[in-house]
Amino acid sequence: MSRDNAHLSLGTEQVGKLLTQYAVPAIIAMTAASLYNITDSIFIGHIGPETGPLALSGLGITFPVMNLAAAFGALVGVGGAALLSLRLGQKDYVAANNILGNVLVLNLILGISFSLVALIFLEPLLRFFGASDQTLPYAYDFMFIILAGNVVIHMYMGMNALLRSAGHPRRSMFATIYTVLINIVLNPLFIFGFGWGIKGSATATVISQFLVLLWQFKFFTDKNNFLHIKKGIFRLRREITGGIFSIGLAPFLMNAAACVIVVLINRGLLTYGEDLAVGAYGIVNRVAFLFIMIVMGINQGMQPIAGYNYGAALYPRVGEVLRKSIFIATAVLTLGFVLIESFPHAVAAVFTSDDKLTDLAVMGLRYVFISYPIVGFQMVVSTFFQSIGMAKKAIFLSLTRQVLFLIPLLLILPAQLGISGVWLSMPIADSVSALVSALLLIVQYRQFKARDVR
Amino acid sequence: MKTYTINIGRQLGSGGRLIGEKLAERLGVPCYDKELIFIASKESGLCKEFFERADEMTQFVPKNDLSSWFSSIFGGEFAGDNFLCNDSLFRIQSDVIRRLADEGSCIFVGRCADYILRDRPNCLNVFISADFDDRIKRVTELFKINETKARELIIRTDKRRAGYYNYYSNKLWGHATSYHICINSSKLGIEKTINLIQSNL
Repeated sequence: MSRDNAHLSLGTEQVGKLLTQYAVPAIIAMTAASLYNITDSIFIGHIGPETGPLALSGLGITFPVMNLAAAFGALVGVGGAALLSLRLGQKDYVAANNILGNVLVLNLILGISFSLVALIFLEPLLRFFGASDQTLPYAYDFMFIILAGNVVIHMYMGMNALLRSAGHPRRSMFATIYTVLINIVLNPLFIFGFGWGIKGSATATVISQFLVLLWQFKFFTDKNNFLHIKKGIFRLRREITGGIFSIGLAPFLMNAAACVIVVLINRGLLTYGEDLAVGAYGIVNRVAFLFIMIVMGINQGMQPIAGYNYGAALYPRVGEVLRKSIFIATAVLTLGFVLIESFPHAVAAVFTSDDKLTDLAVMGLRYVFISYPIVGFQMVVSTFFQSIGMAKKAIFLSLTRQVLFLIPLLLILPAQLGISGVWLSMPIADSVSALVSALLLIVQYRQFKARDVR
Repeated sequence: MKTYTINIGRQLGSGGRLIGEKLAERLGVPCYDKELIFIASKESGLCKEFFERADEMTQFVPKNDLSSWFSSIFGGEFAGDNFLCNDSLFRIQSDVIRRLADEGSCIFVGRCADYILRDRPNCLNVFISADFDDRIKRVTELFKINETKARELIIRTDKRRAGYYNYYSNKLWGHATSYHICINSSKLGIEKTINLIQSNL
């Protein structure tokens, strides 16, 4: 279907049908991405009865480093993807191929430099992020291999972003699914079969992404594709690198902020708890992420529909897509809430068989999921503002939940309430920001009404 | 005679639009400037306000006040899959420009038409500049504003148009290498400029 037809159907087709058509593929892709992290944690948690919980805690310590690496990946990937779709929209294949080449070179440079710097300072870095004598070996072993393969991971992420914006979202979705499948096969083989422990899990990650990267390269080297690797595209051009960095800065900062948040959480858990509390956060984070990613998929599906209809002044349809999205997101997260609050032990048991870690994870899950019935509303409203072109409100709202309210809470509450304070910060930030989004939405609704009357 | 397209880039106050209109009248072809917005709005079903707001703008032109600087940094993340973002409106407008060029000879003023139609035969890409004093004079008369305001408007518009053109075309706005002919309308005057363009068709 051509883009032009897609335009018009957005304004006429049934909203529910459109939402299904746009959101389902996005939800599948998002779920696949989060399954990747979940399977990793499950295998690491079962390395051994003694070592499993500590290995999970070591893994938790590495989250901020992973966030930083992802920040650099997003800097190039998101920026490159946006520029690419602009050039492809103009059928400017020369410029598009130059973007492909520049993204590859930038990933190579940034991937290697990040690895070098992080490897040199790996031990003090992990210590700063809260590694203890017990957890350091696990965190170090895992991170050493991930950093050694960092270029592969960056390339894989960058190519996937380009595939998506080059009009191959299905191919990019399958790339993600393949990495999950290969990872599920290699993880137990390396961890248990070869007895490599946590190193095995890191190796499985790098190898599975390397194999899929080769598959992506097969596509990008095919001369029949308008977008393919050839001589002359690798010279860095200022208009491309400048564009990539100015667009990629926002996702870079968002990921960097996530890094700061995780450091605060981990340090709070360590100050008022123990090593295993970090492992518990690792479990909570993975479970929460799965549900959040589903909502992000719904949001991705809602965006073009809300955006087009708002632009075409079809306000009843705008309201309908907003209501339906909020309803689905809330239904998904309420289901998560009921599931987690009713069977936290069963969920934690998927990741670990250790009693102490289970107890800590159960406590975390119970606290964090309290606010989930209203988180869906917050996330959808924030994306809604984005899709109707009110970027400032969208930015503000997405910052409130993850940064503006969370950081002060994480700095204040743990000192008063101990480890519960760390956990409680998250649902409190969620609730307050849900309230703020509701207020913004009401104000906006009144403005729309006033405008309609006029 | 074969179909042709004339794409005119221009500084604010250089008389570029007037030249385009007069030339179009003389040649008996349509001249599209702001009209593009209405056509793009009609064809896409989106309201013209969105095209007006995005007209010859990008998300990424640095501005003066802090809040817009902030949103230009954070705005990038929100440029994605969105019908109302400038990139997507530019795409819709490009489709309109290509279709109009297919329909017959015409003149486009601004909006990166030279880049959008770069693969077509028989395009003449022109840039019109003028001496700064003449531009101020023209702008004060055109918009009925005083000299200081005119000066500010000119500087701001130049920056905006350059940002828009450089971002979307990957070329440099107002530089000789980006066009076929560059004319200073202060030197030649409106009539002679029109003659010069016409003689190159």
